[in-house]
Amino acid sequence: MASSTRSQLVESDTSATDAVAAGAVGLSAILFALSLAALFEAVTISQPVAGVSAVTLLGGLLAVLGTAVVAFGVGSWLGYVETTPSSSAGLVAASVAAIAWFTVAGGVASQTLGLGTAGGIVGGLLGGAVAFAATALTREDLGSTVPVGALCLLTGLVFATGVIGPEWIWGLGWEQTASLTAEFVIPVATLFATLFAGWAAAKAYGGFGARGRRLGAYTLIYLNAISIVAFLFILVAFVVVQGLPGLFTGVQVGAGVGPQTTIFGVSFTLPLSVPFVMNGVALLNDYQGVLPAIIGTIWLVIGAVLFAVPLGVGAAIFLTEYAERGRFTQVVEIATNGLWSTPSIVFGLFGFAFLVPRFGNRKSLLAGMLTLGFMLLPLVVITSREAMVAVPDKYRDASVALGVSRWETIKSVVLPAALPGVVTGVILGVGRIAGETAPILLTMAGGTFVPGSQTVDVIGGFEFTAAPPFVANPELLQATSALPYQLFALITAGVGLGDNVASPEQFRWATALILLIVVLSFYAIGIATRYYFRNKLRHD
Amino acid sequence: MPTVTDGERTGLQTRARRQAERFRDFVDDTSPEALVTMTVIAVSLLAAFVGFLLVSSLTVVPFAVFLLASGYGWFRHQEETALILTLTTTVSTLLILGLIIVFIFRESIPVVQYESATVFGVSVPGLRMFVETRWDAVASPVRYSMVPMIHGTVMVTVIATAVAAPLGVSAALFLSEIAPDVVREVVKPGVEILAGIPSIVYGFIGFTVLSPWASDQFDLSGQGTYLFVGVVVGLMALPTVVSVAEDALSSVPESMKSGSLAVGTTDWQTMTSITLPAAFSGVSAAVLLGVGRAIGETMAATVMLRGVPRLTEPLMNVFYGQETLTSLIARNYGEADGLQLDALFVAGVILFVTVLGISIGAQYIEWRMRRKLGGEV
Repeated sequence: MASSTRSQLVESDTSATDAVAAGAVGLSAILFALSLAALFEAVTISQPVAGVSAVTLLGGLLAVLGTAVVAFGVGSWLGYVETTPSSSAGLVAASVAAIAWFTVAGGVASQTLGLGTAGGIVGGLLGGAVAFAATALTREDLGSTVPVGALCLLTGLVFATGVIGPEWIWGLGWEQTASLTAEFVIPVATLFATLFAGWAAAKAYGGFGARGRRLGAYTLIYLNAISIVAFLFILVAFVVVQGLPGLFTGVQVGAGVGPQTTIFGVSFTLPLSVPFVMNGVALLNDYQGVLPAIIGTIWLVIGAVLFAVPLGVGAAIFLTEYAERGRFTQVVEIATNGLWSTPSIVFGLFGFAFLVPRFGNRKSLLAGMLTLGFMLLPLVVITSREAMVAVPDKYRDASVALGVSRWETIKSVVLPAALPGVVTGVILGVGRIAGETAPILLTMAGGTFVPGSQTVDVIGGFEFTAAPPFVANPELLQATSALPYQLFALITAGVGLGDNVASPEQFRWATALILLIVVLSFYAIGIATRYYFRNKLRHD
Repeated sequence: MPTVTDGERTGLQTRARRQAERFRDFVDDTSPEALVTMTVIAVSLLAAFVGFLLVSSLTVVPFAVFLLASGYGWFRHQEETALILTLTTTVSTLLILGLIIVFIFRESIPVVQYESATVFGVSVPGLRMFVETRWDAVASPVRYSMVPMIHGTVMVTVIATAVAAPLGVSAALFLSEIAPDVVREVVKPGVEILAGIPSIVYGFIGFTVLSPWASDQFDLSGQGTYLFVGVVVGLMALPTVVSVAEDALSSVPESMKSGSLAVGTTDWQTMTSITLPAAFSGVSAAVLLGVGRAIGETMAATVMLRGVPRLTEPLMNVFYGQETLTSLIARNYGEADGLQLDALFVAGVILFVTVLGISIGAQYIEWRMRRKLGGEV
């Protein structure tokens, strides 16, 4: 009989049991979204949704989810569902279950049963130990579903029956008072319970065993990656939405409305006026702006790059091309990495103690430039070195074989090949320092508002003097503003802002938006450069 | 030196002799004119540096000599000038670290002497800063204790690590092992941009959105909690953890992974039993560096915290955020002078030493891992 030797290659088609597991995963996703919405008060937990209060709905759904997970696990254990479980769910899962149950059991023992802190810890340990044993010592299908499902079921019932209702509050009884309110506890508990149950359900959908574990883990890892990207988008979008009204205050388009500009001796009027980025602060302005801070940031970046890039690239050349690997290169490497992780405020302190007394004993643009240059330097060294090490040795050998000297080889072979890496590194580094506040706080920044008339003009500021040092530039030696500092000053100034700007809140958000635009455009350029060069290299 | 054994001495001697030989060879091979140029460059730059240190207005003279000599050398002896100039840049990188150490330590000496405490009849400078908890720069007795700020920094760092470590390692695993190419091309720049958002913007959002929300949720008096500063700082440290951990994970040789996959494991099993254990030290270095970032984070903490240099009551009360080492400096540098200013430098020294230690530790771990995996050291 031919049919009796036919073995089943595919385990089974989508069956009712698979549908249950998939449904549980879907339910977890819905609950996850709901609890996030409740956490950020998009949904008020006491508000009725479809006839029932939101907290009851959350609790009910959580209980259903818990029941489904438990049912699947027990069904698999009894053999009703075809799965391939391992002998144990593993220690990681057991530890997570133990922590979750420790929290729940501890809370119940200390608060509901009124046993106090000591009783709570004992109860928590007991609950945690039971959960650990139940997860680690049973077969995987039971171990990874029952403790989780029971937790969801319990939490769900507590919420649904109103034991923890919308009015629930737990004063912690500390000297500095703090309480856990239902508004926080319910969404957060739901969030964690759902994550845990979603993992168990995904595992069940994969039929436990190696495949199930893979599916369960991948679900969480993908969720994490998606959350990070989503977080970034929300953050940027939030700043944009909040900042646009302030940015567009008083915008005019039309011939002759903008400020007069002179480029190469030709004077013309811009057909666009955006007061926020084209004005400083002045008594008679209709709309105030942050032009001095923008110009200050640009000069800061230019100064820091002029200082750090030649130094950094030079050091990288010496380390990769001239020096032999040994004690000295190791020390330099450790030093640059150490400099890279040094907190920005420490650079600020250093600039304050080292540079400020040497530049006229007051905060100055030059001190700020150099301080940021110090910060940028290690990054330039590290990235340039990486780029130069990545240049294949055969390039150098070919050049040397032709009788070209060492420096000529570096200049015409190594540097061009390493240029993309160096450029990308510098641009990304510049993005980082352009947004730094702490160093310039101590070395450069002046008052909250800088009048438009004090916008720095470094090129026009150079003058020659009779006494040494013969060249002077008062523009470089005076305090000015930069965007990150401007935002900090606006935040800390608080109520005092009202006299200067019509809507302080809009002004702040618009400043944050401009800062974000400046910094992120550096990043966009850096990342785009990398892609451009990479594609070019690939085509070659 | 009597303590040096003979073996070491001969080792040192041979090394010194070899260096001297190499130097002599170099001098012999180079034309005298070029040697003079190199010497002028080096000496004039050194003089300029000394002049700068001494706040002399004549600094510009040796600096001009340096520029002239370099310009001349560049046209006549490019090879040698390039060598001396790149060597100078390398040395100046080292010098900056040295200057940071000297200057922030020097500024902090007076307050360390002021805060001496006597233990068993021996006066230990600076000890009182770490055994008392009082910070008060105005009312008598004036005390500059670092304990409240260290407590704050520890609280924030612990919370931040709890956020950044699991999320960061998981994201690194995703990027290096799981993600299809198309997805990676989206997520990786995303993580980088996350690192680029200025800390003051995070702080501003935390200040206007998170802090009021937290006060409301936890029924607090006033605004500012270590809990949410920690969460925000954790998110800011996340990109550091992700990129370093990703490097570590992708440095695990492909042959090890293929070997595992070839015996029929799932890719998740390969990750947990081959890739992660092999890259474990690199991943822990990533977490360490993330911790370093979290310790040094300034602006978000400054705008979100209360600015009260006192311990929370009780110590584990994460719902009240007083002050960290970094925010202490950023908040008080303006009105501080004398001893109080020096006390800020002590906070800076603590930060600098801690983070430098973490950085060196992380590098040691990474170096050991590279050696173990058989790559170049």
